[in-house]
Amino acid sequence: MIQSYPVTPPKWPLKVLQFFLKKEYLEEIEGDMEEIFLNNVEQLSLRKAKRIYTWEMLRLLRPILLKNLKQSSTFNQYAMFKNYYKIAWRNLLKKKAYSIINIFGLGLGIACCFLIFMFVQDELSYDNYHEKGNRIYRVTHGSKSAGDSQKEAKANPFWVWGNAPIGPALSHDFPEIDKVVQFSGRSDILLSYGDKTYQEDGVFFMDSTAFDIFSWPLLQGDPKTALIAPYSIVLTESTARKYFGDKDPLGKSLKGSESAGRSNAGDYTVTGIMKDVPSNSHFRFNALLSMSTFKKSRPDIFNMWGYVDFYTYFLVKEQFNESTFKKKIPAFLLRQQDDPKSTYTIVIEPLKDVYLRTSAERQPGETGSLPNIYVFSIIGIFILVIAMINFMNLSTARSMERGKEVGIRKSIGADRGSLIFQFLGESLMIVFLSMIVAIIIISIALPNMNNLTGKEFVIQHFINWRTISFVTGAMLLIGLAAGSYPALVLSGFRPALVLKGITKSNTGGVNLRGGLVVFQFSLSIALIAGTITVYSQMKQLLDKNLGFDKERMLVLDYNYDGAVNAKSEVLKTEMESNPSVLSAAFSRSVPGSYFPNAGTEIQTADGEMKMMGQPIFQVGMDFITHFGLTLVAGRSYSREHPSDSTHALVLNEAAAKQYGYTNPADIIGKKFSQWGKTGEVIGVVKDFNYVSLHRNIEPLTLPLEPYASRYLTLKIKSENITETIQEVKQIWSRLAPHRPFLYSFLDDDFNRQYHSDFIFRKLFTAFACLAILIACLGLLGLATYTAEQRTKEIGIRKVLGADMRNIVVLLSNDFIKLVLVSIIIATHAMNQWLQGFAYRIEIGPWIFIFAGLIALSIAVFTISYQSVKAALMNPASSLKSE
Amino acid sequence: MKKTKLGEFEELVLLTVAILQKEAYGVEIKRELEERLKEKLSVGSIQSALKRMEEKGFLTSEFGEATMKRGGKRKRIYSTTSYAHKVLAEMKDIRAGLWGAIPITFETKLSYVLK
Repeated sequence: MIQSYPVTPPKWPLKVLQFFLKKEYLEEIEGDMEEIFLNNVEQLSLRKAKRIYTWEMLRLLRPILLKNLKQSSTFNQYAMFKNYYKIAWRNLLKKKAYSIINIFGLGLGIACCFLIFMFVQDELSYDNYHEKGNRIYRVTHGSKSAGDSQKEAKANPFWVWGNAPIGPALSHDFPEIDKVVQFSGRSDILLSYGDKTYQEDGVFFMDSTAFDIFSWPLLQGDPKTALIAPYSIVLTESTARKYFGDKDPLGKSLKGSESAGRSNAGDYTVTGIMKDVPSNSHFRFNALLSMSTFKKSRPDIFNMWGYVDFYTYFLVKEQFNESTFKKKIPAFLLRQQDDPKSTYTIVIEPLKDVYLRTSAERQPGETGSLPNIYVFSIIGIFILVIAMINFMNLSTARSMERGKEVGIRKSIGADRGSLIFQFLGESLMIVFLSMIVAIIIISIALPNMNNLTGKEFVIQHFINWRTISFVTGAMLLIGLAAGSYPALVLSGFRPALVLKGITKSNTGGVNLRGGLVVFQFSLSIALIAGTITVYSQMKQLLDKNLGFDKERMLVLDYNYDGAVNAKSEVLKTEMESNPSVLSAAFSRSVPGSYFPNAGTEIQTADGEMKMMGQPIFQVGMDFITHFGLTLVAGRSYSREHPSDSTHALVLNEAAAKQYGYTNPADIIGKKFSQWGKTGEVIGVVKDFNYVSLHRNIEPLTLPLEPYASRYLTLKIKSENITETIQEVKQIWSRLAPHRPFLYSFLDDDFNRQYHSDFIFRKLFTAFACLAILIACLGLLGLATYTAEQRTKEIGIRKVLGADMRNIVVLLSNDFIKLVLVSIIIATHAMNQWLQGFAYRIEIGPWIFIFAGLIALSIAVFTISYQSVKAALMNPASSLKSE
Repeated sequence: MKKTKLGEFEELVLLTVAILQKEAYGVEIKRELEERLKEKLSVGSIQSALKRMEEKGFLTSEFGEATMKRGGKRKRIYSTTSYAHKVLAEMKDIRAGLWGAIPITFETKLSYVLK
């Protein structure tokens, strides 16, 4: 028969057959089948032949012809597994100390790593919950700088906080913008319902478009209309419960106090209840007030480009193109503003960048820090690496003892593959046990972690497929990486040599272990150095002279209460008459708190009036001396000049510079105009850090405004502080009985700004200490092992007259050398790395030397226990044992 | 014939191998047996019988030549062992003995039925 095309039987049945059939039968049967197939093709149709072929193939799957999948081989495997497991278990139990060090060390490492992973994950998850998040942008405001240099950008950072007219202008001029939402700066407002009165810190006046843009689901009320009418309020679930308990809050009315500069007091109607703002939001609040409330009270400022009190976010349409939009900004601003000379400009930021990648100031809430995330990720990796090295070191060291086992296994027929399998399996088993330890540690540590960071980590969030597969993968990876060296080395032993006892001469393992210890300690030293740096920086931050007194300052907050302000003179004299109170002063804000912005016109050197904006800090009489501010030029406000409250202004050096006066004395007597006041500049105070040290000192004006204050600060004597507070409270309740007595200490309030720095320091220190602990665990294990290995040697040395000191030195020497090498490496590597950062962190090599010494002493301490123990051993007993 | 378990089908295959001599490989055995039994047999059944008998020591086998038709795979030629001859002869004797012992009337009846 002539075949015009190759006739071949279907492929897959053959594959099945090849998989299942005994190898020795395969050739014969394959041949038979093909012959039959071709016969069938000749006699029948191709299709039928193929069908017969397939059918016959399947019918060939008979027990006698199949590979021994189920029978003898599986049985053997099982027995072997049982044996491996038993040996592994016995080995673990035989040396309990090692096993505990190994398992606990690795477990601790994994737990740390996972906790850090959770922290980083949480930081990265900020604002991810907004469904339209990738289309939300916000406006940051700043001024065009002549040169575009980095330094200038740093000196004049952009602000998120800006003017109102930009919002409507954007939505009017750009069709690609879908919706704009604006909200005010944080307001503190007193809300009361019946007899329940609470001060709500951090509420926002917000546009009604908020719920179209942000994904804040409303449990009750209509998201479209909730924030339209003036004096509407949307409460979060927990705030609503605070006021109304189980009652239905919708439509009820809350009495609200005045919000200074934004709205008059009034009755707010509850128009909606929203879910609490998720903890991973870049700003959070307890309640939202309708922007129309603000607008009703202060309609003028909604047209003022110079009035700063608004955050502007917007939602764009799908076709939005960021780069084309940026190009249109200059023309847009020119069109909108009357003043062509204005240097005002805006920059937009996508929502995904606002928590971690923003450099703008005056944020509506807290921001995170990308470098911190990197630092933590690096620490996490360091810890895991250190723990893995421990594990590798201990398993390699220990594995040498098992040369005999390998020899015997090999001589009775184990092949290399199964030995590798055995050792890898053993290390996986240890990793698995460590994983259990890690889970226990995590569940114990999690509440503490929550305390430490103020975040709410819930383990349930992390039980998902992604994490589970990640963890399983990591487990396999750790097990394989840590087990690979012993597995490969041990399985390569030649049985004849091993059984003769020639394994200890293998020096490769010792070198590798040495190298790993050096690496491990280099990492630890780097971490210790990092901890020292963080501490010294924090110390600098906390101890730095801020330019004002913050110690023993008692701050009474009465939130602009008019009745209190009316009595301010009496209060001040009464308070000061108490012998424990050194001085008292009123002010609208306190350092570290909130400062609004004001536009101020001041006469420049060439006589023109120049308008500039800067924060404003309205103060009462005696404030400047009370806070210990230094006058560098002119005089401060005084009762002898009754016109001071309307016609005088004190500002800081930075503000003088802002108007072009490098010598502060030159600005004295120049005309100013600010918020309806006109007069002369009478004094300049030395720059003081009225906000956190993270920020540069901005220009500031300090107008005298004795009857519009919010705080009364008292400088008190350091003795009997509790009694003083009691006395002050009595005076307060006598003079202002309607107002609750709320007090705090200025330094506490001020240091609260460093909250995230404290968290960072705590976390950093905790994890660095753990890393060092893990490294030391490893060292302890190795030292114990070496001491044990050299028991005989030590015995002989002692018999021959070595004293304890010699032996301790002998045993410690190797490790000390390793640690010394690590110090050199760590110093060198970190120095190289810091070159690029040198202008930011001033740390010299001494930190590394110091860190190295710490590491060294920890290491010496760790090793000494073992070496002293070994040295004290009776040589008779160590030499006797065989 | 005490411990030599030789199944009915196995006996048939064994006899076929004995008939085919040098040609006794899978396909040929199958063809021959199908012709004689006048029914289709599966490769699987023949192969398992062959393998079983090889294990029991009735058959030995070795590779033969490869042909184009077999995709270059060699045949396995089976041959009967002397032990198989002995067992087959024993079985034949037993059967013959049994046949001889059957009363004549029954034998004629039986031969009708067989036709």
